[in-house]
Amino acid sequence: MVARVVDLRSDTVTKPNQAMRSAMAAAIVDDDVLGFDPTAQKLEMEVASIMHKDAALFVPSGTMANLISVMVHCEVRGSEVILGDNSHIHVYENGGISTIGGIHAKTLPNNVDGTMDIEKIVKAIRGTDGELYYPTTRLICLENTHANCGGRCLSVEYIDKVGAVAKEYGIKLHIDGARIFNASVALGVPVHRLVQEADSVSVCLSKGLGAPVGSVIVGSKDFITKAKRLRKTLGGGMRQVGVLCAAAYVALRDNVPKLSDDHRRAKILAEGLQKVEHFSVDLSSVDSNMVFFDIKETSKISPDRLCEVLQERGVLAMPASSTSVRLVLHYQISASDIQFSLTCIKGVVEQILTDGTKNGVIEQNMLSVSQTVTV
Amino acid sequence: MRRAMAEAEVGDDVYDEDPTVRVLQDRVADLFGKEAALFCPTGSMANVLALGSLVGPGQEVLCEARAHVLRAELGAHGALTGLTSRTWSHPRGQLDLAAIEDMYAPDMGPFFVRTTAVAVENTHNFAGGTVVPVEDLRALRAWADSVGIGVHTDGARIWNAHVATGTPLKEYGTLTDSLAVCLSKGLGAPVGSLMVGSRDEVEEARVRRKRLGGGMRQVGILAAAGLHALDHHVERLAEDHEHARLLAEACGVDPAGVETNLVVVDVPDAVDVVRRAADAGVRVGAVGPQRVRLLTHLDVSRADAESAASILAGVLGATA
Repeated sequence: MVARVVDLRSDTVTKPNQAMRSAMAAAIVDDDVLGFDPTAQKLEMEVASIMHKDAALFVPSGTMANLISVMVHCEVRGSEVILGDNSHIHVYENGGISTIGGIHAKTLPNNVDGTMDIEKIVKAIRGTDGELYYPTTRLICLENTHANCGGRCLSVEYIDKVGAVAKEYGIKLHIDGARIFNASVALGVPVHRLVQEADSVSVCLSKGLGAPVGSVIVGSKDFITKAKRLRKTLGGGMRQVGVLCAAAYVALRDNVPKLSDDHRRAKILAEGLQKVEHFSVDLSSVDSNMVFFDIKETSKISPDRLCEVLQERGVLAMPASSTSVRLVLHYQISASDIQFSLTCIKGVVEQILTDGTKNGVIEQNMLSVSQTVTV
Repeated sequence: MRRAMAEAEVGDDVYDEDPTVRVLQDRVADLFGKEAALFCPTGSMANVLALGSLVGPGQEVLCEARAHVLRAELGAHGALTGLTSRTWSHPRGQLDLAAIEDMYAPDMGPFFVRTTAVAVENTHNFAGGTVVPVEDLRALRAWADSVGIGVHTDGARIWNAHVATGTPLKEYGTLTDSLAVCLSKGLGAPVGSLMVGSRDEVEEARVRRKRLGGGMRQVGILAAAGLHALDHHVERLAEDHEHARLLAEACGVDPAGVETNLVVVDVPDAVDVVRRAADAGVRVGAVGPQRVRLLTHLDVSRADAESAASILAGVLGATA
């Protein structure tokens, strides 16, 4: 029975700390649907202020934050949104923008650094010449940090350029900033500067910042008014939500500086993994709190098998593809947890390879034997 | 309740690892004799998920004309689920089985919309917190079974119906395929409702909940409050019902017609009444140009109810 568990599956697993629990217990609350919850209002004003936007709205999840943002920008039916083919909105949000929002997605390839080529963005914007046949492009979405590309940071120069394109063509820019604070800390750029050109941003409090639940959408007053109504329609209009907002406020107040430690530990972890001959890690791609590593010979060690055996040793990780594994750090993972994880991973690799020689190869032989027999 | 929330054991519920919400879901399912339940941020979402498991795009649900699902959920069932509806009318929000049978549209081929569910609201909010009698629910169930359609119960205030009539929650459960029940109303939890139904329906609804954006993380904080509410705040609803009758009397409404914690008062000018009452320290709501609604709950003590009663009597007397 394993006593120690190091959960590297995601930064969403962070549990509320004592300061948050105390804040939640003492929170002044009221009915937020009727517009009275002072703690929700306090959080929303704080996030708006930090982002230099006019207004903000607390929602149960990042998925709802993105869904609402895209739907409000694309509220006219027949809209199209340009976004990355490896973006969270496109890959992991159940196709909600289309299923629920009726919005057409135009995906462009995400480069390894999380960007989309600017020339491709410009080319993808629907021209008026095809008005009879085309949906209307109304929105571009960026993701910062970009999760599937490895927690990559989009630079302020890149975002400004995309913002300029959006303005030139009269379309909006939304940033999926679930991990925008990681980007800000990693780049050394104030978060409001990073999102300056964005019409809206979704910010997650429940990931690296550690709150139990919630995201916040920021935008103009008009945008947030519409967002509020849509939030209710989707079923996200919670009542005495100040309980959750109190924890989110503590997260925002206390935990942003801790993100740089996560980034530092991610680099240490990546360096440790690079030393394992069966893995390849691109150290230059470790921008923030995520480490993706490739397994060189997946016929011997599959990501699934690696994670399965790792779990037996108390380390939880997530396969990212048929050839790679993802590890995500947060402030509840210590330096000693990193060393423990590296030791476990190395041990597991050895174990699988040894077992493989005993079991894997024999199983393969048995397979070919049975095939011969049946034939 | 705050202590329970502060001490709650939590995990990531998107990974189905929050132990406290799992306890809550199992508990609520069991209370209604159902296989499973799913915690949702709101009653609106619980209704969308539940009805969505019985009625698909282009299919029809039958409801009472002032049903909350049709009147106060921002058209989500049409806009998001793509269902359509028809209604019967009843002054006290009750079932009208003859009207339902008359409207019912079976599968008549590819050109006609078919009815796949009836939704019943118990207690019925806009009709005045009225209880749907269990005999009527039994009759509805028998008929629905005979034609093979589903029954959904918007049970946001099912607890009030249960306490007012003594009908066991399990009985309400047997008579319906799905339920949406609220913890954040009279039971006093800060947030949350649950969709209750079969294991398959709830498992599938989990995905739709995620799509809507209702997949929360360490939600045990909220679930702990819900568990506390179920432990301590159900039976006391009887006091809210008494207080409601007290208020009804003061407002010139026959208390015999007040079945639970809700009083509806007809007035010449609802906005005016709301303003005057607020100025005098009593908050009530307008539900129509000439209709005001009052609800009692655990944060309204007997003394509060008595004082509000005399204030409202004054306000209404002045505007009569």
